[in-house]
Amino acid sequence: MKHLKPLNAKAAQTSAAAEAGTLQEVVAMQTVAGCSATTDPGWEVDAFGGLGGLCQPMEADLYGCADPCWWPAQVPDIANSYPDWAKGADSAGRDWRKLGPTFPDDK
Amino acid sequence: MRRVLTALALCSLACATPSGEGASLAARKSAAGASDMMVVTNRPNNLHLVDLGARKVERTCALPGHASPATLALSPDNGIAYVLGGPLGGNVWGVRLADCALVFRAAQSQGNERVATPGGIAVSPDGKQLYLHQAPVKLFLDHYEVQDTRIAVYDTSAGDGAQPLRTFAAPRQVTIMKTSADGTLFLAGPDIFAMNPATGETRVALQSRAPKDDVLGPRDILTVWNIGESSNELVRMFTAPRWKPGAVGDMAQAELVWGYERVDLATGIASDAVLAPVQVGLFTGMSRPGRPDQFYATLTQVQRFDVPNQRIEKSIDLEHSYYALDFGSDGSTFYLTGTFNDIAIYDADTLTKLGNITLPGGDMATGVPKIFRREAR
Repeated sequence: MKHLKPLNAKAAQTSAAAEAGTLQEVVAMQTVAGCSATTDPGWEVDAFGGLGGLCQPMEADLYGCADPCWWPAQVPDIANSYPDWAKGADSAGRDWRKLGPTFPDDK
Repeated sequence: MRRVLTALALCSLACATPSGEGASLAARKSAAGASDMMVVTNRPNNLHLVDLGARKVERTCALPGHASPATLALSPDNGIAYVLGGPLGGNVWGVRLADCALVFRAAQSQGNERVATPGGIAVSPDGKQLYLHQAPVKLFLDHYEVQDTRIAVYDTSAGDGAQPLRTFAAPRQVTIMKTSADGTLFLAGPDIFAMNPATGETRVALQSRAPKDDVLGPRDILTVWNIGESSNELVRMFTAPRWKPGAVGDMAQAELVWGYERVDLATGIASDAVLAPVQVGLFTGMSRPGRPDQFYATLTQVQRFDVPNQRIEKSIDLEHSYYALDFGSDGSTFYLTGTFNDIAIYDADTLTKLGNITLPGGDMATGVPKIFRREAR
């Protein structure tokens, strides 16, 4: 950690825990309370560095990945913040034009 | 692994199964009225009972909400489907397939504790108890606090508002579960665990995570779909580096191979095997009923593996990706499901397409199919 500088209180606590040898008390989440805690990078390359090994077409994979927070950065958090994002768009292949961006209500 | 391969070799090609379209038709229409049936969900909130023999949707039930991850478990008499509903499997609905009545409902989240079940659902062999793998998180004003994961045991006759009878500590990262004939609950996670659901006593049935020999490296496993009813197995595939002899740990010289782990639910015996070098990405696969020397898998292709000889026997490209491959009861036909809303039907010998069944509604997404044999009524 000596090359990293904490920029907020949470990071400072983590840094202190590492120095105190108590970092193991930080429990990794298995299943998240929100998609934001998911660490999967999202739309990806396949095991061979290409795209051919991914689901075809991409729309076939959309809800299978969005429902369990598999693509946290690419689609809204429909498990928590935007449960109705896909309402009325039951077929990703047919209805993808209905899937728009989202904005926080207070903005 | 050697034990498994020996057993497969002993089976040999004498493990005959009906073949071809003729056999498929015979299987579909045998015993006047008997038929293979499938239960599966799709968007927005449909639960379908599909007559695979007649290739038509027999009944569609409306679920109380969006089914996600939509992992299913059936009662032993196949009369009730227990469905993991959204969000993140926090709700469980038991639906009687004969009339769509909601006979069981549990909201797992209570108070400020939010519970997710990303796929761990199973029913006891006598149908009296439902097992759920719970991943709880306490939601506080300024932070979340992850709780220990556990198995919750429910009384299936508890009806609406069911509460757990008891809970047991359970390993993390468990995403599918099944029960064997003697009532043992198998949990597929970092390893495959076996739990006595009366006492909570848990043991490792098959070691997946820790290296155990000088043949294979660490396994990468996608454990999402609890398929395999027709072969009475809990099964999942893995990829792993196979070390070059004398170069253990050298990824540059290693060969990436497919393999599978399975539990025979009749005997409770866990085993694993290498299938063949990796050519394409695959999500699910299972043993062909009656042919443990053959293993089928899918994503954007279907590949049939010759298990004893560790080679790909036949491969076809699909019209689009499907998440799950599941066999009919006699092994002559397999069905592809998940992603969009069509069930693709294939002949298991020739890998030729026999047709599609289109479900009313939208995408199945991660919806898990359950296939069973319904005898003549």
